[in-house]
Amino acid sequence: MSLSITRLASVNLRKDLRLEWRSKDVLNSMLFFCLLVVVIFSFAFDLTVEETRRIAGGLVWTAFLFSTVMALNQSWARELRNGVLDAFRVSPAPAEALFLGKCIGNFLLVLLLECLMAPLFVIFYNLTSVGPVWQLIIVFLLGTWALVVNGTFFAAMSIRTRNRELMLPLLLLPVSIPAVASMVLATAEVLTGESSPLLQIKFLAVYCVVFTTACFLLFDTVLNAE
Amino acid sequence: MKSKLFYLWSLITVALLAYAVYEAAFVAPMEATMFDAQRIFYYHVPAAATAFSLFIINCIASIIYLAKRSAWADALAVTGAEVGVVFCAVVLTTGPIWARYAWGTFWVWDARLTTTLLLWLLYISYLILRRSSEASSTSVLAASLAIIASLDIPIVYMSNRWFRTNHPQPVIFTDRLDPKMGLILMWNIFAFMALGILIAWFRYDLERLAQSINTAHIRRAARGSFAVILPGMLLWQTSAHWPPIRYFHAGAADAWIIYIGYIVLLMVKYSRLKKEAAELRT
Repeated sequence: MSLSITRLASVNLRKDLRLEWRSKDVLNSMLFFCLLVVVIFSFAFDLTVEETRRIAGGLVWTAFLFSTVMALNQSWARELRNGVLDAFRVSPAPAEALFLGKCIGNFLLVLLLECLMAPLFVIFYNLTSVGPVWQLIIVFLLGTWALVVNGTFFAAMSIRTRNRELMLPLLLLPVSIPAVASMVLATAEVLTGESSPLLQIKFLAVYCVVFTTACFLLFDTVLNAE
Repeated sequence: MKSKLFYLWSLITVALLAYAVYEAAFVAPMEATMFDAQRIFYYHVPAAATAFSLFIINCIASIIYLAKRSAWADALAVTGAEVGVVFCAVVLTTGPIWARYAWGTFWVWDARLTTTLLLWLLYISYLILRRSSEASSTSVLAASLAIIASLDIPIVYMSNRWFRTNHPQPVIFTDRLDPKMGLILMWNIFAFMALGILIAWFRYDLERLAQSINTAHIRRAARGSFAVILPGMLLWQTSAHWPPIRYFHAGAADAWIIYIGYIVLLMVKYSRLKKEAAELRT
């Protein structure tokens, strides 16, 4: 049992990625869903370039938020079907390793989705950034981590409930509203170039640190809840 | 089930409420710009103070539960969250009635309002989780969520620095508040806190009863949310000509409907559980 947490987490991560690579269940449905949202938004709002810059933050993050919820639900459902959670409960491996592996797996998946969808947003909405793009990248990395770490935690919680998939958004959204608000603001600030998103980036960083810590500490309790 | 102390406390609460509500409605001096509509303040502020206290109790009880796994802490946690949601619903509905008079609109996405709404949503999601998780894991999952929710509160407060605010700044304990008003406000805070304790006590006993007969059908989450449509029902026509006293009446009616409605709901549930407990004993 000399395996460290990082080793165990990377084993979990590799397993998840391999499963996803072979089936592509989650990625395909996420991509298609996100594409649908983009199309629906462009029908719902008829926008000029200037308007788009201001509200693009909201559009992009809404699309990613809902696609993320979809992915997260699937990530634990698979484990439940195959009894992996029970196996983990009886194994001496720390639960944190499982959680870390899942978080990173989901994070990579959502990042991949964002990289694939970003060109579409740019094309469909004629988006160009007035502010520096590297700030946008920081906002997206922090924002995605904030969504994924809370989401993975609450998904583990919601599969323990009777209405499983239905519960995740109900638990995740209220807690994530401050983070989503600041991601949207930061994205809009960079795109319009009107002000610096530094304050929002700091806020997102604090949010990530606080909730990553809390989720790590509480995950064992949730996994073994009875 | 209920001790003499409980009935004594009910008497004290009723006496306090009668005095404080009378003072607020008739004795308190008229405000210079908002006239009688300002009296909603005597419902709004005490409800907010009580709701916050109850949410804090929820957080502390959840931590105790996770550490010790004692059933009483779990009962206290659900009490704090549920009664807190009811008092928070009073805050969120009396506020807009006042705002309709003072600002001319029910709702603005202002820092204080958004914060309170988020708080309310967080604890509703807590109650929903309690309702829909499998009985064996409810308490642990709910306690974990309560801790996450309590972490979210300071973050929510931090996040709204970048919203502008129209909400009146705190006036309590400053010399901008007329001393007479301040005194009456304190009485109202005492009285509604007493009411909060009374309701919470009742709810707590009820939860213990539910635990004891092992039928934890947790109350449907946040029935108080019905009350959100109340301001709309009371003031649905755009009546800019209403005298300020009508706004006060609407606010007071709204608060009392929520409080009494919730107490009635609890009593109905209590009598049902009593019956069930009696049937099980025979």
